[in-house]
Amino acid sequence: MATMLSWILVVLGQVLVAIGIACDLIAAILMHRLRSFYLRIHALTVGSIGGAVVPLIGAALIAAGSDFLGTYRWYVAGGAVVTAAITFIMAGAGTHAIARAVLRTRAVEEEPSSGA
Amino acid sequence: MDLESWVTTFLSYAIPLYLLAFAIYVARMFREPRRVPDLVLVVDALSYDLAAFLVILSILLRTPITIPCAIALVLWIYALDIYVAKYLESKELG
Repeated sequence: MATMLSWILVVLGQVLVAIGIACDLIAAILMHRLRSFYLRIHALTVGSIGGAVVPLIGAALIAAGSDFLGTYRWYVAGGAVVTAAITFIMAGAGTHAIARAVLRTRAVEEEPSSGA
Repeated sequence: MDLESWVTTFLSYAIPLYLLAFAIYVARMFREPRRVPDLVLVVDALSYDLAAFLVILSILLRTPITIPCAIALVLWIYALDIYVAKYLESKELG
């Protein structure tokens, strides 16, 4: 019989995964609709932070609350938290590296300020 | 409904939504403008979400093997960003 704490962890985790899926779909649609490269960087941030870090933390909570997974649930929860931390740090750093390179080399015609 | 079927049902509904998002991302790769920076942005977003998807799969399939894959995938995406940025700026990858 699952304890109350397990249910709380699982439901909290599911809310975060649901938020992540919503951000994922929004970011995917924004990749189509935003016309400028520099605006699409915002869509990438929505997709990487909202669409990956948030559901990873949600998956960690779900795994921690899932007694039926046995002892390996801590392995999954730990791995999910590590992946979320790495993604949180590296998504921003990588995106900035790309944006700086594109701006310096004029690899795209539009200007950062053009909101068209 | 017990906890196991509750989690399994929820994650089973999450899978098609993730696949829909992946399909939209892949569709973006074939639309103009298809410049290298644009493609890198789409590959980044797609891969970060794939990493989250792998962790969710590990819970659904009760297998821990996809966890190291998610960590490695995230690290590779960062490497892709740095390599492309380095190539754009100095035309070499070393």
